[in-house]
Amino acid sequence: MARNVLYPLYQAGNPQLRIFRTNFFIQLVRPGRVQPEDTVQFRIPMEMTRVDLKNYLQSIYNVPVAAVRTRIQHGSNKKRDHRNVRIKQPDYKVAYVQLAYGQTFTFPDLFPEKKTDPETSSFEDIQNEFMDKERERQKIDPRRGGVPDWFGL
Amino acid sequence: MAVRGLASLCRGFAAALKTPGMLRTSLAPTARPGLTFSVLNRSIANITPHHQYRFIHTTLSRKGLEEFFDDPKNWGEETVKSGAAWTCEQLRNKSNEDLHKLWYILLKERNMLLTLEQEAKRQRLPMPSPDRLDKVSESMDALDKVIEERDTALRLLQTGQEKARPGAWRKDIFGRIIWYKYKQWPIPWYLNKRYNKKKFYTMPYVEHFVRLRLEKYLRSEAKKKSLQRKKQKMLQRKFPHMST
Repeated sequence: MARNVLYPLYQAGNPQLRIFRTNFFIQLVRPGRVQPEDTVQFRIPMEMTRVDLKNYLQSIYNVPVAAVRTRIQHGSNKKRDHRNVRIKQPDYKVAYVQLAYGQTFTFPDLFPEKKTDPETSSFEDIQNEFMDKERERQKIDPRRGGVPDWFGL
Repeated sequence: MAVRGLASLCRGFAAALKTPGMLRTSLAPTARPGLTFSVLNRSIANITPHHQYRFIHTTLSRKGLEEFFDDPKNWGEETVKSGAAWTCEQLRNKSNEDLHKLWYILLKERNMLLTLEQEAKRQRLPMPSPDRLDKVSESMDALDKVIEERDTALRLLQTGQEKARPGAWRKDIFGRIIWYKYKQWPIPWYLNKRYNKKKFYTMPYVEHFVRLRLEKYLRSEAKKKSLQRKKQKMLQRKFPHMST
């Protein structure tokens, strides 16, 4: 429900514990291995359970969840720095969420190559543009109010 | 996608609510487009706002997994513009319900930025505008701080307790005086085997080491003081007309 928070003791008959503002931040990741179409892969905090994740997705994101499976990924402690001291990559929990109602999900391409417009202008136009840019660069700082550069400060 | 705009960190939301677009007279209860979230149980008729408010009703924006990603127009861009983070002062003006909603807006934005960061690492490309993450986490910390302030104020007024979690000053086995925070147990302390193994008293043979620790502390304090005095002396020697 939240990280780094002391949960009150539960005894039989107590009301359901509710936390108003969750501390859990999750990330959707591209799967390393090919997953079935209805499976979405998340990296979630270690303290989060599959039930937590199901409720999180259903209430905050309105995603219908059929099943959740989790595993803990060990972060490598093999690398060493210049002092031969081991460097630990953090451990994290991976969750595989299967969507309900036959929904599918494919991880989109978030870095598509943006095509620049083909050069329709002539060589002279490009030269003029370049000269304009150069002139802009050579101008002195407008905040100096017209005072030349060779004055100190 | 009205709330998509809200999810950005601009203060435009706050500004939009306070724009003097509508006149006071036109804020008749029947003319309002929809109920705000907070007005479920109260009647609207008696509210006369002091500022020129526009009551905005926005449905919860829950569009599924696409909220883990930015606006598709921003995919592939090198920089994405974003406003400043929320400050404590701005958040103190908001009601608890507004802060609750803002928390979840910031949470979703943070999740989106974290997915983007991870994908950028995966593709070995730079993440567009990573400063957005810092702004969002700063805003969330400020929100936490404001909520904590309100909680402590309420607790002080209602019960007079300064701390939410009870505790006590106790001596540990090393002779130090520590703030022991109480823990919730289903059984009383005299039946608690684990608690009784802890020793909140100091044995006499530890006094010698307590004294050594005290001497070490006093020595370090004296060193700091003498360092300050030496620095001042050196400065006085180099700059005799210096005023402290």
